[in-house]
Amino acid sequence: MVLAGLAVTLFGFLIAILSLGVTSSVSGRLVMVLMGLAVSLAGIIGIINRSCLKNAIWRR
Amino acid sequence: MKRSLLLVTAALLTLAHGLAQTPSPAASPITTSDIRNVEAPKPESRLKGDPDGSLTGTVSDIAVSDPKKGLTIADALNQIGQNRIAINFVWTLITGFLVMFMQAGFAIVETGLCRAKNANHTMMMNFMVYGVGMLAYWLIGFAIQMGGVGGVANLGGAPPLNTEWTFHLFGKPFGLFGQHGLFLTQGGAYDVAVMVIFLFQMVFMDTALTIVTGSAAERWKYAAFLVSSFIMGAFTYPLFANWAWGGGWLANLGVNFGLGKGYCDFAGSGVVHAVGGLTALAVAMIIGPRIGKYTRDGKPNAIIGHDIVLVLTGCFILAFGWFGFNPGSTLGASGNGNLRIGSIAVNTMLAGMTGGFGAMFYMWLRYGKPDASMSGNGLLAGLVAITAPSGFVNTIGATIIGLIAGVLVCLSVEFVDRVLKVDDPVGAISVHGTNGLWGVISVGLFADGKSNYGGSWNGVNGSVTGLFYGDASQLVAQLIGVATLVGFVFTFSFVVNLLIDFVVGQRVSPKAELEGLDLPEMGQLGYPEFELKARPATVH
Repeated sequence: MVLAGLAVTLFGFLIAILSLGVTSSVSGRLVMVLMGLAVSLAGIIGIINRSCLKNAIWRR
Repeated sequence: MKRSLLLVTAALLTLAHGLAQTPSPAASPITTSDIRNVEAPKPESRLKGDPDGSLTGTVSDIAVSDPKKGLTIADALNQIGQNRIAINFVWTLITGFLVMFMQAGFAIVETGLCRAKNANHTMMMNFMVYGVGMLAYWLIGFAIQMGGVGGVANLGGAPPLNTEWTFHLFGKPFGLFGQHGLFLTQGGAYDVAVMVIFLFQMVFMDTALTIVTGSAAERWKYAAFLVSSFIMGAFTYPLFANWAWGGGWLANLGVNFGLGKGYCDFAGSGVVHAVGGLTALAVAMIIGPRIGKYTRDGKPNAIIGHDIVLVLTGCFILAFGWFGFNPGSTLGASGNGNLRIGSIAVNTMLAGMTGGFGAMFYMWLRYGKPDASMSGNGLLAGLVAITAPSGFVNTIGATIIGLIAGVLVCLSVEFVDRVLKVDDPVGAISVHGTNGLWGVISVGLFADGKSNYGGSWNGVNGSVTGLFYGDASQLVAQLIGVATLVGFVFTFSFVVNLLIDFVVGQRVSPKAELEGLDLPEMGQLGYPEFELKARPATVH
């Protein structure tokens, strides 16, 4: 699960980079970068952190 | 009589008008003989002392290249040039010394916020991160970060740092890392200007590294800390710093893609604080919470630090050091718009002030008391947030940025503690990570387009201007920086520290943690003459 989360987080970064090549409009790039950020945050908070919490010391 | 008086007055007025319109004689160019005719104070007059300073620092102090020729115009001009660079060298070095002293502030803030049984361990991490980081940066990191920066005009050029590794994407060059400057000797890096740049950038890098020791305090294995810090100083920090400050692809978003002036991070809200804060988040997630921090049903317990006096004293030391951090990032006091150092310093102090107020009033309203440690964190949050925009905003912008940071740090601490259930004993993730990102974004909002550092920034003519002053594309450049920090830097840091966890092991044993890390990890108590009463962790 952690690896999947890392992949999703990195994918968000790639979406932001892709905005530079896909469109030249400022608003188009803004939307893509925000989407990328949301994907990365979902990867960190939704997948990686949940996976880490499964083994948290207070759950044992 | 009246008539003659009028005639005389009219004649005088005509004469005065004519005189006013007479062109003044053209200024004659200064010649070498003019310079030689400048009188130097006589040696015997200097023997009597110089109480008012009028005899010290005169023409007799200008270095003469050829004593046979005497003083020439070339000598005078060379002296002027060297004076400008000397001012900038001294400015950058002294502000770098101030930033170095921030290590002491971080050390006592973190130690004060930890329990007494971990005081030695926490201090030692903060103490040795200085040396570990410096070693890694001297060996590898500096070359990766600054090896392709090109010229730094304020410091006389630094031409040896001229080789950036790039690849092409979307038809544009993407600079990834520098290649000159290993050991400060390779590639012609044995250079006076390079040394100044190294010192200043090194203390910035060390600031980023020391952020992580806070979030992982009270349970981080000392050997793992050493390895993790070395890799961060050698690779993680320099890589992003190259992209933002070393001539890399983020700085060139303006030149290559027309996004404002490229990614703008004046003194490092992103480069230093967000990199440190996001690495702190990665390490804290891997290492897990301290024993007793959460109950079995996941409710957080407050684990109180042992010395609030240390905490707030440390905050003051950090606020003092920030006067090196932000104004020093001009890399000079003379030329290229560097007189904005006054504005930068004022912005810094104002944002710190409103950050402290924001946190204090938030805690007071929400919990009934003006919490001391959160007020300190609010001050630091304001300082972190103003670090990127300090060179580009006015005082109104600075106070708003600081105020938002002060409230944001409280909300973020609650979110990290209660929702993420990530244990961060000192609030480093919120102070540096969350507010580092906020600082980067705030440039894209509040930059007022009035700064002018030599007419351009990141190779794009004009001044940095944010959304509220008419340039939405600057905000996009800033958000791409944020996406890089969150998407790339976090992932990189997480993978590195996951590998360290497999090889070295990141966390101490439960026995050592309950006992306190001073004896098991360091072999000596922080406070040997005091009897520490162990308060066993309650498990519900």
